[in-house]
This record gives sequence, C-alpha cells and structure tokens, in this order.
Amino acid sequence: MTLIEKSRVKSPWVLHFDTGSCNGCDIEILACLTPKYDVERFGILNKGNPKHADVLLVTGPVSKRAKERLKRLYEQMPSPKMVIACGTCACTGGVFHNCYNIEQGVDKVIPVDVYVPGCAAKPEAIIDGVIEALTKLQKLQEESHRKKEVK
Amino acid sequence: MDWWVLLLIQIAVIIAAPFAVAVLLGIDRIVTARMQNRVGPPVWQTLYDFFKLVGKKPMLLNRPQVIFAMLYLTFSVFAFVLFVFGLDLIIIFFASAAGSVFLVVGAFSVRSPYSHMGANRELLQITAYEPVLLLALLTIGIQGGSFVVTDLYKAGDLILTLPLVFVALIVVLVIKTQKSPYDVATAHQEIVSGPYVEYSGPYLAMTKLGHWFELALIFGIFTLFFNSDNLLVSALVKLLLIAVALLVAQIVDNATARLTKERMIKFTASFGIIAIVANYTVIYILQSAGVI
Repeated sequence: MTLIEKSRVKSPWVLHFDTGSCNGCDIEILACLTPKYDVERFGILNKGNPKHADVLLVTGPVSKRAKERLKRLYEQMPSPKMVIACGTCACTGGVFHNCYNIEQGVDKVIPVDVYVPGCAAKPEAIIDGVIEALTKLQKLQEESHRKKEVK
Repeated sequence: MDWWVLLLIQIAVIIAAPFAVAVLLGIDRIVTARMQNRVGPPVWQTLYDFFKLVGKKPMLLNRPQVIFAMLYLTFSVFAFVLFVFGLDLIIIFFASAAGSVFLVVGAFSVRSPYSHMGANRELLQITAYEPVLLLALLTIGIQGGSFVVTDLYKAGDLILTLPLVFVALIVVLVIKTQKSPYDVATAHQEIVSGPYVEYSGPYLAMTKLGHWFELALIFGIFTLFFNSDNLLVSALVKLLLIAVALLVAQIVDNATARLTKERMIKFTASFGIIAIVANYTVIYILQSAGVI
C-alpha cells in the first residue's frame, strides 16, 4: 500500500446532502460530530464543499427536485469517491416508497457503495458505514494492484 | 562553521519545515479536541489529509487558477527560504505579502460567488494583519539594531524588551492559522471555505503547502525573540515561544465565536498597533533615560 493509498483510508472528508429527509438522520449525523462519538478520531471531517469531499453521505428518499442536485454534487466530487445511503429512506425510499414525487432511494440516481439502514440510523451505524466504505476502498485499491501484477 | 555545513543545515530546515508545521498542526488538532473533551485525530492527520489530496483526480475550472495557486506556493516558499538564508526582514515581508495576494487573485479568477466573498474577506484579513506584522518587524529591526535575520539571531533577548510585540504577533498568528474569532475568510460552513472553495485535489494540496510555508515564516519570526550563546538553551526557548504562542491562539480559538470582519479590523488596528507603539515608546524613553 503506497503512502497516498494509506492516506485515502485515513482521511475521509464527508459531504452531507439531504435529499428530502425528515431530518431524523441529519440530526444523527450531527450527533456523530459531538464529543460523545467524535468522528474526527478517524480523520473524518464534515466539509460543506463537494470539491473537497471524499465521501458523499446522502439522507432522504430523493425527491424529484433533489435528483438533479444530487447528480451535480456527485459529479463535482473528484474521484476516488464513495457514496453512503444513510437511513431507510435513502436505501429504498422507506415509508415514502412508491410515492409519486420520489425516486425510490439514492441508488436509482447515483451508484451507492454502502447502505446504512435504520429509521433514523444510529450514530454508531453511520460511523460503521463510513468505516465500511473505507474498507471497501482499501479492497478496491488492493485489487487494482493485483490486476497490475497479473498484467 | 564551514559554509557548506551551514548550507546543508539550511536546506534541511527548508525541506523539514512544512512537515514540522504539519505535525504542529496535528498536535494543535489533538489539543483542541482534548479541550472539547474529545479524543482527536492522530498526530499525522494533517499529513494524511495532504497526501490524500495529492492523490485525488485533478479537476480545475481554468488554467489561471492553477497558475495563481503555484505563484502563491512559490512566493510563500521564497519568503521562507529568504528567512532561512538570513536575509533582510523587510524583503521577506514583501515576498510573503505577494504570496497572500496571489491567493486572493486565484480566488477571484473563478465565477463562484463564495470564492469571491472569500477573496474579499481574505483581502480584509490582509489589511488587518499586515500593518501589525510590518510594525512588529520594524520594531524588532530597530530594537535588534539590524533588519538582517543573521544579525538578529545575535541580538539577545528581545522578548524582555518587546513583550507586547510578541502579544501583537499572536493576534497575527490567530488570523494566519484561520482560527476563531478571526477566521472570517475560510469561515468553515458559513461561506464553505472562502478562497479555497473552487480548488480541489492536488491544487488544494498546493495551496495547503503554501499555507504551511507561510505559517513556518510566522513561527520563524517568533524564534527571533530569544537568542542565547548556548545553542541547546536557545533552541529549547525558541520552541517554547512557538508553543506558548500556539497554545494562546488555541485557547482564544476555543473560547470565542467568529466575529465580523469589521470588528477584526477595528481590533487589529487598535489593539495591535497601539500595543506595539506603546511598547516601543516605553523602551525608547527608558533607553534615553539610561535605565536599561
């Protein structure tokens, strides 16, 4: 693992986007930043800027209005990037499933790496989701190394 | 000391400085976390952030943006190199000021309103701290008998004669390290990150490196305040001065909320300048009277 690859795993900057959530999950995300959960010990910082972010943390069932914004935010993030769907609504649409004005979950709009279920998702589950995303990133990096060796 | 040994030491200092500042900022984050009853990130966190940014896919809006980021980095490094080679403080000051201006121009080169707002605020920050810094350097120069850094390192204990200048420089440090109450330009979530908003990946890393060199220069100015013939004592007290300045800045950062840009200018223009002028006036009178 090179220095840059190790740094990627050690320093995930999170962008949080609310696509029409009830704010339950958003409050739990804010709870992660408090001294009790202290996500900064994993190097996680909450950035309000897609151009600085590595992880897109999406809450809410993606309303038709939010769809375009979600796509644009995703495209503005420089790769490598991870997407986490946080909460039942973001995973499947939740209680809003089959409503006329929503897109049944984040993965209908952009590719999702990790799903964090729960209504609302607990702070422990959200932190676990971010760590899961980082583990996946590490695996992808190792796989790409192996492919190079085979070539 | 042979000239080539000195040259090697100077080059080593220039290469080690950004890493030292990064580790210092890592310690700064841990101490801040402990003040807020948190665990905090590892010491190397700032370096991890930097290398991660270097490894991201480059995305830019226009070419001038990158050129201005490069110029910002170049002038910050240039100012620090001049300092390490022991040249004139006033030239170092102007080289460093040119660097900060290129950061502002870079932020103005894109169309984002947040970037423009950040650039405007950055300019106000420069108008706030630059007179204080210049006055402080002038006072150090007059009191130390020379503006050349090599001579100032033989000037003795300036901290005893110029304590208020040291305090005024802490105000400059608070603005330079982007800490509350005067982090008006970057202003975390308020205007996202001000002048840095449209930089991403390796270009953001470039501006970060420039910022570290700027901080290294400010810390370098702090080391001018104490000199002793004993090299070990000298180095330890210099480190202590930097630590004290940073600790005070942290306590101020954690104890205050962000103030408006008008209050920043009022405070630096009143407190900073009055402190330095009062300090120098008292010293001048005492020296004329032959007390010291």
